[in-house]
Amino acid sequence: MIAGVRFHQLVRFVVLLVACAAPAAAQVRIVQTNSAGDNIHLIDPSTQAIVGEIKGVPINHGAAADPDGRRFYISSEAEQTLHVVDGKTLQTTKKIPLTGRPNNISIAKDGSRVYVGIVSAPGAVDVIDTKTLEKVKSISTKGGIHNVYVTPDGKHVIAGSIAGRVMTVIDQKTDEPLWTLFEEGVRPMAFEVNPDGSTKRIFVQISNLHGFAIVDFAQRKEVGRITLPDDVPAEKVDKGPFNASPSHGLGVAPDGKSLWVTSRPNARVYTYSLPDLKLLPNPVDLGGRPDWVTFTPDSKLIYITTENTDLVHAIDVSSRKEVAQIKVGKAPKRNITVVMR
Amino acid sequence: MVNWLLRGAAVVFVAVLVSTPIPSGAIAPDDDLPDGDGKKILQAQCATCHELTEVTKFRGYYTSAQWRDIVKTMVEYGAELKEAEVETLVEYLTQHLGRR
Repeated sequence: MIAGVRFHQLVRFVVLLVACAAPAAAQVRIVQTNSAGDNIHLIDPSTQAIVGEIKGVPINHGAAADPDGRRFYISSEAEQTLHVVDGKTLQTTKKIPLTGRPNNISIAKDGSRVYVGIVSAPGAVDVIDTKTLEKVKSISTKGGIHNVYVTPDGKHVIAGSIAGRVMTVIDQKTDEPLWTLFEEGVRPMAFEVNPDGSTKRIFVQISNLHGFAIVDFAQRKEVGRITLPDDVPAEKVDKGPFNASPSHGLGVAPDGKSLWVTSRPNARVYTYSLPDLKLLPNPVDLGGRPDWVTFTPDSKLIYITTENTDLVHAIDVSSRKEVAQIKVGKAPKRNITVVMR
Repeated sequence: MVNWLLRGAAVVFVAVLVSTPIPSGAIAPDDDLPDGDGKKILQAQCATCHELTEVTKFRGYYTSAQWRDIVKTMVEYGAELKEAEVETLVEYLTQHLGRR
């Protein structure tokens, strides 16, 4: 009996020890910026509810997060700063002055650096060291930078310029530009990877193109363009204006099986299978001007903003059916997915 | 019965008014921009490409130099503004939407 009690106590102790030692379950959050507001919303994709709000980042543009989600970075066009935000308290802990007016941002795969696109002439990519939280470099570019990305393998930084009409590929280790492409305004991009994780193709939205260009990364050249369908009755087509960007938002699902591309005039999102880029049936009507997209890590849901209705639409990827509409702030645009560990 | 019909018609009328969207490119009433040559340039050159809320959202934040930076970016994006129009627009934006 005494031995039995001791055994139970031992089991309880071990269970308690394991529970304490086990890491807390990772939480997925959709981080939604509001381009005409000063707040950013955090959405829980398991409930479609807003579960957090970052305040005090006026005219916020781009968002990025540390790989563990413990810290967010948000660019403010109004203040021309990068806000460093604590992932738990959602409070700004530091504002880093930038070279000029920022647009979108991206973070290195290891979280060591944040890259900030500077749209002010003559254009640059500001580099922020996330240990010192200081700007350590400003990479000169041809024209102001609208969007900046780190490729999924972390090896390259891709900067797109509308004014400079060019996409610049930068070596992430040396910060040196390697090659450029296009002679048209470069808008959002999405990345397809090879089995080893290296960049295979970049899908690039271009000024005044209702669709996207396809770039073969190894060949360093454009290999095709796809125009989105003209499948909406004329009386229902939105005439804009669209900032010279009728298609401004696209993404490759994390499982690499589909590419999702938004259309502002058609107020729809279209899906293409990968790698064959075959248009799939049943585009999703969004009832507003769609912008950016982001996915849950399991590729089950995609979140798409419609900036003129202040909504985020949660769509089931496999059925291509809307499962929720979430009211957020003013003119929501850029969004990212964060796994908080 | 007539009263009910009139009330119903009034409700429908108000609902239509409320739900009627502002035409694209038009200045929404809440933009509240005063008349002036700068406003004419905004309407003629800027609203053809984007909603004017893309401009008014910066109300109160920017100095003259920062407004000039934005206008310069827009010219690089394709806005066809003469030098004199740039000056007029920067002055207008600074005066009516500039940092306080």
